[in-house]
Amino acid sequence: MATTTATVSISSNDLMPGSSLSINGSSTLMKAGLTTGLTQLRTGYESIATGTEFRLGPLATEMSGDAHNIASWVYICNKATDDTYYIDWGINETMIGRLYAGDWMFIPWNASDDAAEIEIEAQVGAQTIEYAFFASDLVLATAAS
Amino acid sequence: MATTNATISISSDISSYPMRINSSMTMKKAGSCHGLEETTGMRTKKFGTVTTAAVIVEHDELTDDKAHKVYIRNTSSSKENFFYVAYNASAAAAATAETIGKLYGGDWMLFPYDGNVNIVVASDGVIEQTLEYMVFADGIVAAAG
Repeated sequence: MATTTATVSISSNDLMPGSSLSINGSSTLMKAGLTTGLTQLRTGYESIATGTEFRLGPLATEMSGDAHNIASWVYICNKATDDTYYIDWGINETMIGRLYAGDWMFIPWNASDDAAEIEIEAQVGAQTIEYAFFASDLVLATAAS
Repeated sequence: MATTNATISISSDISSYPMRINSSMTMKKAGSCHGLEETTGMRTKKFGTVTTAAVIVEHDELTDDKAHKVYIRNTSSSKENFFYVAYNASAAAAATAETIGKLYGGDWMLFPYDGNVNIVVASDGVIEQTLEYMVFADGIVAAAG
């Protein structure tokens, strides 16, 4: 069984005056509702042009079984260095946040249907992202011919 | 200016070559080199054995269109039980179009959030579970008197 572990550490000595902040979390990424590790991995390093909304990751119909009950995890890091640059990210045509230059994010993702795709759009200028998609039950697209 | 650092480490043996991601970010204000200076503080909420939906982040407490960050962790240990997490106006996280994903026991997530719509959760109601969550804010709106 494959083992994928994600740990986070958040710290600050001055965000809350009078008390230092230290948060630590660790998770082993499992198939939905099981104690079996995820088995599939897709990674990429992509340039994102401005003015177009791109899909990141597969569609629900590119997974076998009930996609809503498949556990997937998405890591994205914006590799831009200009502090004014950011990437809007969202699901289902709804933007949720701005991933600014140098920021990373890590979320579970459960695609209820194809519309619930992960969408990204570069703002201010073209940017490069690094991403990893941890999953199970992905199926390759059928060849065109 | 406060300095808040967040580091993620992911290791996986899904592929035959070991994969490791290490990434750090300093949480900054939107479009700025200055660090975030506000937070809601760490909160914990216990959910019982009835399916319960709740707003955990109220967007009207935060400035719109900013570079907030949201950290959420399911502190239970059960990999069979979960919370839905969604970006939605009402506390109905389970079947909304903007459901982000399911957070199983021990799982955590950290994502950029624009502060325009609430963050809501729904427990599966099978066992008692507890969430801990914290917003690293790029502007907190003072409550009206």
